[in-house]
Amino acid sequence: MAADVKKGIDTTKNPIPFEMAQVPGPEQAKCFMPKVMGAIIKKAKRPLLVVGAELFDDPIMFDKMIEMGKMGIPIAATAHSVKGFVDRGYMENVYQIGLHPLTNYLRFPDWKGLDGQGQYDAVIFMGIFYKFANAMFATLKNFNRDIKRISVDRYYHINANMTFGNMAFNANDYHAAVDEVIAAMKK
Amino acid sequence: MATKEGSFSVEDMKNVQINIGAVVKEADEWDQEMGPFPKPGVATLRDWDYKIMNRYKIMYAPADDTCTLCTYGPCDLTGNKKGACGIDQAGACGKIVLIACLMGCCAHAAHGRHLYHWCLDKFGDMKFDMGDEILVDSPLYQTIIGKKPKTLKDFDEGLAYLEEEVVQLVASTHTGQEGYFMDFESKALHTGMMDDLGMEICDLLQIVAYDMPRGAADAPLIEIGMGTLDQNKGVLIAYGHNLAAGAEAMIYAENNNLWDKVDIGGVCCTAFDLTRITETGRDSKVPKNLGPKAKIAGAMGWWRKMVRAGVMDCVMVDEQCVYCDVLGDAQMRKIPVIATTDKIMLGLPDRTNDPVDQIVEDLVSFKMPGVAVLDPTKAGEIGIRVAIAVKPKRAEAKIQNLITAEQFKEGVEKCTTCNECAFVCPPHIRISDLIAEAKKGNLEAFSSMYEICVGCGRCEQSCPQGINILDLFEYANRQYVKNQKFRMRAGRGPARDTEIRAVGMPIVMGTIPGVIALVGCSNYPKGTKECYDIAKEFVDRGYIVVTSGCMAMDMSLYTDADGKTIWEQYGGGFDGRNICNTGSCVANANIMGAAIKVATIFARRNHRANFDDIADYILNKVGACGIAWGAYSQKAASIATGCNRLGIPVVVQPHSVMYRRSFMGRADKPEDWMTIDARDGSLQQVEPAPEAMLYIAETKEEAMLEMAKLCFRPSDNSIGRGIKLTHYCDISMKYFGKLPDDWHLFVRDVKDLPLVYKEDMLKTLEEKYGWKIDWKAKKILSGPLRPADVSFDPTLIARKIRTKK
Ligand code: SF4
Ligand code: SF4
Ligand code: SF4
Repeated sequence: MAADVKKGIDTTKNPIPFEMAQVPGPEQAKCFMPKVMGAIIKKAKRPLLVVGAELFDDPIMFDKMIEMGKMGIPIAATAHSVKGFVDRGYMENVYQIGLHPLTNYLRFPDWKGLDGQGQYDAVIFMGIFYKFANAMFATLKNFNRDIKRISVDRYYHINANMTFGNMAFNANDYHAAVDEVIAAMKK
Repeated sequence: MATKEGSFSVEDMKNVQINIGAVVKEADEWDQEMGPFPKPGVATLRDWDYKIMNRYKIMYAPADDTCTLCTYGPCDLTGNKKGACGIDQAGACGKIVLIACLMGCCAHAAHGRHLYHWCLDKFGDMKFDMGDEILVDSPLYQTIIGKKPKTLKDFDEGLAYLEEEVVQLVASTHTGQEGYFMDFESKALHTGMMDDLGMEICDLLQIVAYDMPRGAADAPLIEIGMGTLDQNKGVLIAYGHNLAAGAEAMIYAENNNLWDKVDIGGVCCTAFDLTRITETGRDSKVPKNLGPKAKIAGAMGWWRKMVRAGVMDCVMVDEQCVYCDVLGDAQMRKIPVIATTDKIMLGLPDRTNDPVDQIVEDLVSFKMPGVAVLDPTKAGEIGIRVAIAVKPKRAEAKIQNLITAEQFKEGVEKCTTCNECAFVCPPHIRISDLIAEAKKGNLEAFSSMYEICVGCGRCEQSCPQGINILDLFEYANRQYVKNQKFRMRAGRGPARDTEIRAVGMPIVMGTIPGVIALVGCSNYPKGTKECYDIAKEFVDRGYIVVTSGCMAMDMSLYTDADGKTIWEQYGGGFDGRNICNTGSCVANANIMGAAIKVATIFARRNHRANFDDIADYILNKVGACGIAWGAYSQKAASIATGCNRLGIPVVVQPHSVMYRRSFMGRADKPEDWMTIDARDGSLQQVEPAPEAMLYIAETKEEAMLEMAKLCFRPSDNSIGRGIKLTHYCDISMKYFGKLPDDWHLFVRDVKDLPLVYKEDMLKTLEEKYGWKIDWKAKKILSGPLRPADVSFDPTLIARKIRTKK
């Protein structure tokens, strides 16, 4: 299983919701190693990277997100995170939209997407205020199960399908794990 | 003329209108006919609710995938599965939303009912008189009930109606009753409207009974902050929402000349209502100009910080928004507690019928940690006497109010950096980082986080080392607490009719870009300063900014470069570039009332028993948007839902996801934006304005951008739309570094374009969106959804069509 994937940062430890009492029910996210995560994102036909304002607290993450963007994954910049992309001069496939309206659209199969090309099959959350991201995952978990819910954030996201364990207090490991995801996507 | 009981003559029929199921006496001097929906029942306005919900789709974020409400449970509802009773996840969410709204609505309504009895007992029946400048004196009451109350006693009819509706609504939540999510939400919207009514009754009762300001833009400036409480006197804190006991304490202090021995500070909305008492100088049974003698200790979110800061000697709690562990917190510091209403009795003995001297003695000698005294007059006297007498006793008993430097050091040394606390802290404060800095002798980290900390105490509950983290915060912020002294405007009550007349046209045309209402608590998600920032942004831009409750208090804790609070920077009128504090939580009704008054005073719409018509007017023509940027109570859920039924969109902070439901439009669905033109009944697609009814924003920047957008209305004329678009685009440029992606949706004509961006926008419209532009004439030839048309009369209600096509 996931934990068997050799070497690299172990992102499967600490599967505890970052707000501990967020335990919604029997269906809970599984933790995956970065390489598996990268491979699955790569396989998605219509992935969407969804990033939030916590990127401003750890600006190096903007660069990592841009790297993903350059690999052709469109970016939904929620809250006011688009400012980080504007400041870095990368707006190629970046869309400015709130997480709430975005999730509202994601729950309808007939939505045509931010680029008009159709609904997404996977969303990858990153840098979003924990409780808010958790709730928007809950919307999709309950009301549109056709979209795969992936978190590459530093928190264990219980309402995702795939997530890391908690890495909130170890920035270095977390950065390395995201780099491994990106490397796996490039393979 | 005399007739036998049970019979009537034809003359008696004058001014009597018979409705099915009820006889409604027509108010003689009212120039409006009775509207279609006096005292609407649970399903009466369902058509209107469905109109809202068909456009603004109900969106749930379940906080729980299971249901445990009955003995079949727990049922797993994940993926919208059904439980044993047949309810699905959406239905179960709707049920919880309805219950939350009912909690909020009942909190206000019960407050109103208590005040009704109390005011009639204390003052006797009084003429309901809001003064010459407020003739539409009870806009929600009139819109919902269809009557004008003439005396305080008349409000009984509204309360009785509300109470009957609430019983029906609660009944529908029983297992096996309502099961369909949209009908739960229609009921929640009905509950929200009941809440509007309950709040209005409550505020109007107290305004008249206690002679509070009636729309005074220049209501007095009141002292606010922990530092304003004079520690040389006994300090009595009145905490909660119901002024009855606190007001009696003030009257006792006044009548016995005790102000040099006692200070009264309010926490949460009681603070506001105490500071509004007898400010107009009319005849009153209460001593004149009493309000400004009370101080506002602070908003509800400061409560635990206040206890830890050792600024009080006695506390009286009344109702709503009171922390459940108030007694334990107070007991640790030997602060006597007096529970003054039957809603919060804290396990204390009911001493209502015991002699005052005996109760005072028991509290002052610390024989009892607290008592319940349900007679406000008695409670008020006890509060004052205890606060004065216990102060020296507390000093004698060497009660440790504050931790020592040694204890602070011991506390920080105990930390093992396990970060258990960080896993439960709502604003994600890395407490171990603050402690690490403190170990190095740097308290700055603790200071800078003081206002971000919401004082929830969850960290202390989870710390395996038993560190009293809030005490550490207090130690590091002692100087700040002493200096927390500011001034804010007392609650002024409703907007005056003359103010509405002046701003009605600019609001509907859009030349005043919007009415922004900041309501509720204000401590999430990034501290109290955000509410100041948001208010300031919009006042500066010329919006009408109104506020109430804890939000109004918290924005008073910040100043500009000249040391002025927002109240000292701007006027208090209901006008552009002004900020008005309507008052406490229940005074929120005045904000909704102002929207109704735009429809009825400016646009001359009949509002009498005509709720959907008025809500339709507001939805299409009154660019108003509410924002609730804080934590806590279900009252926020019911207030927001009440705004929504009245056609007013609301933006909330990200923790609000706990209330599970929002209303979101789909800008990509033309059919959702088809609107009737009341002139001839033709259908017209309009721009998504307003785009959402309940919107959750992650950051204040996002909130401000959305609020500017939610002020667009189909009725905006070109100048107005241009002004609104300018602010929308400016806010986006300022905080997002670019124009929003959807500005083009709101352009109907070249005249709608903001001047600064006009050239670039025209280019974008041509190149990116394929619009045809006549560059010579600077005209848009094709592209927009619809032309700008000042006489377009948008409505969603078919009966408003004037000439059928
Ligand atoms: S109310 Fe319905 S869903 Fe809830 S526990 Fe009972 S049967 Fe299950
Ligand atoms: S009391 Fe303050 S620091 Fe502690 S968990 Fe609550 S918000 Fe965080
Ligand atoms: S829970 Fe207690 S010991 Fe652990 S990091 Fe927080 S303050 Fe330190």
